[in-house]
Amino acid sequence: MKPLLNISNLNISFQSEAGTVHPVRGVDLKVNEGETVALVGESGCGKSVTALSVLQLLPTPPARFDSGSIQFLDKDLFKLSEPEMQRMRGNDIGMVFQEPMTSLNPILTIGDQIAETILLHNNISQKQTKEKVLDILDKVAIPSPEKRIDQYPHELSGGMKQRVMIAMAISCNPKLLIADEPTTALDVTIQAQILELLENLQKETGMAILLITHNLGIVAEHANKVAVMYAGKIVEESATEYLFEAPAHPYTRGLLNSLPNFSSGNRLNPIPGTVPDPTNLPNGCAFQSRCSDALPHCGEREPSFLKLDQFEEGRRAACFIYESVESVKL
Amino acid sequence: MTALIKAVGLKKTFPISEGTLSKPTDFVHAVDGVSFEINRSETLGLVGESGCGKTTLGRMVICLLDPTEGKVIFDGIDLVSLSEKQLRKIRNRFQIIFQDPYSSLNPRFTVERLIGEAMLIHKKASKEDLSDRVAFQLERVGLSADYMKRYPHEFSGGQRQRIGIARALALEPEFIVCDEPVSALDVSIQAQIINLLQDLQSELNISLLFISHDLNIVGHLSQNIAVMYLGRIVETAPAKKLRENPAHPYTQALLSANPVPKPGGKSKRKVLVGDVPSPLNPPKGCRFHTRCPDVMDHCLRQSPSSVKISENHWVECHLYD
Repeated sequence: MKPLLNISNLNISFQSEAGTVHPVRGVDLKVNEGETVALVGESGCGKSVTALSVLQLLPTPPARFDSGSIQFLDKDLFKLSEPEMQRMRGNDIGMVFQEPMTSLNPILTIGDQIAETILLHNNISQKQTKEKVLDILDKVAIPSPEKRIDQYPHELSGGMKQRVMIAMAISCNPKLLIADEPTTALDVTIQAQILELLENLQKETGMAILLITHNLGIVAEHANKVAVMYAGKIVEESATEYLFEAPAHPYTRGLLNSLPNFSSGNRLNPIPGTVPDPTNLPNGCAFQSRCSDALPHCGEREPSFLKLDQFEEGRRAACFIYESVESVKL
Repeated sequence: MTALIKAVGLKKTFPISEGTLSKPTDFVHAVDGVSFEINRSETLGLVGESGCGKTTLGRMVICLLDPTEGKVIFDGIDLVSLSEKQLRKIRNRFQIIFQDPYSSLNPRFTVERLIGEAMLIHKKASKEDLSDRVAFQLERVGLSADYMKRYPHEFSGGQRQRIGIARALALEPEFIVCDEPVSALDVSIQAQIINLLQDLQSELNISLLFISHDLNIVGHLSQNIAVMYLGRIVETAPAKKLRENPAHPYTQALLSANPVPKPGGKSKRKVLVGDVPSPLNPPKGCRFHTRCPDVMDHCLRQSPSSVKISENHWVECHLYD
């Protein structure tokens, strides 16, 4: 099966006063039709930059695409002209941003903001557009859409604003929805509402979701596949159930051990140290200084992304402990 | 055993006025009649969603805000009745760790001054031995004593939170309010800080009021948990009881909304409808009735009072009348 989205060997750098930063260093990621892929990692690991690069929303400069490609169906997104890219955004690929409070335009009614996307991509009348907006507001479960359509963002709560963001993103039935930390700014009970809404919409429309989050609980409940990112690289990729059962990369294992658990109360086993300075990454594996399984040659070269199909189909990890894989038991 | 700290019927209202000089037109009922107790070297976890009054409550307990009504009794002393001067004398016995490690440290102070200032004021150190004392505090929270002459901007979020903890510990307090101390941090750093807090607590026998919106963290750290909704504590119970037998419909919803990092762990979810109402105009009767799945007729008219349903387990809900 041909993937819907295929990011291969993506390298992005930023020029800054402190030097050149490489927030994305050789990312490979595939999203198939109808599936939910989670991209997890801690702040600054490059997950949002990867997401923004798919829609080419990164300002260049300071950002620079050094190498790699992003394929959406049969199109190479880097080869598209700006007007062609414009036709994709919102139409084929929708995006939900992290902060609903700042991502909506405060001086336009929410009806106008949703209508903008629809009018841009469809040749329909104002009246039809309004009907469509009402229909979508209803779909994202906003109560009394006739009233809400003429309201401004400040009149809505955080959860409602995020519903409006989702309404905008799905207004043209995209094949792929990129959700960048869609619930991070929301309370847990509202988070549960929004995630349920996304899941229902996915069932209904069959769209694929690239879910960017730092919350492993959300990953476990909503994703089919997970990619774990650390310092600009994907260090592990696996089906969700296997990742939680038997994490392959020491970083993934460390992350899972760091999670406080309501029921156990056992002492946590955190990853020591901190994320390396992005302007001054160490030689070799970026995780070596914090890794409990570090080998002498981890500081010499970077581990390549190894297929670990002998454990599970589709599992991959970038770690030297799997180079001589006979000696490793998962 | 008498509690080290006891809050009795605490209330706080904030006036709202149209202009700066005009009379208040309305009041926000941030905290509306809250009581709890914390024993020595125990942790009370306080959970609730944003705007429910957790932070206001935390600040009232250590007199950073004056309550509109109610009392705070610390080791038998009524803090609210004390004069400014008397209060200052006793302040070294309770401290606070703030949520945001980026804005709670003065950027123009060195670490030595950040941690040492209070020690000088409370005469816990003299100018001569100050740097030794600060070095001791830094090492206790896992930082190098060489950091003393540096400024906050030179540190990462996790390190800054360690400085915040060192500052709170500098006066050897008996009670610390931790106001979302790890919510600004990444998972791996968060775990380091949680372990540090637990170690220090068992070493120094400190009582904690641990405020967080994250049930996993609160459940991990606390002996007792209080669940807050719109200015009221709706349920208090030992952590284990709350987890296994949540009584209040809101607690049940919170627990079920909490995502579990285990595939297949997703239980049948009780998803609440609607948003939290505004504390400016809280619903009549039970405050939760607008979102409650188990709402009954009299919930709309009459506010429930606290009922003891088992040892140390209190709940405010008409289901248990």
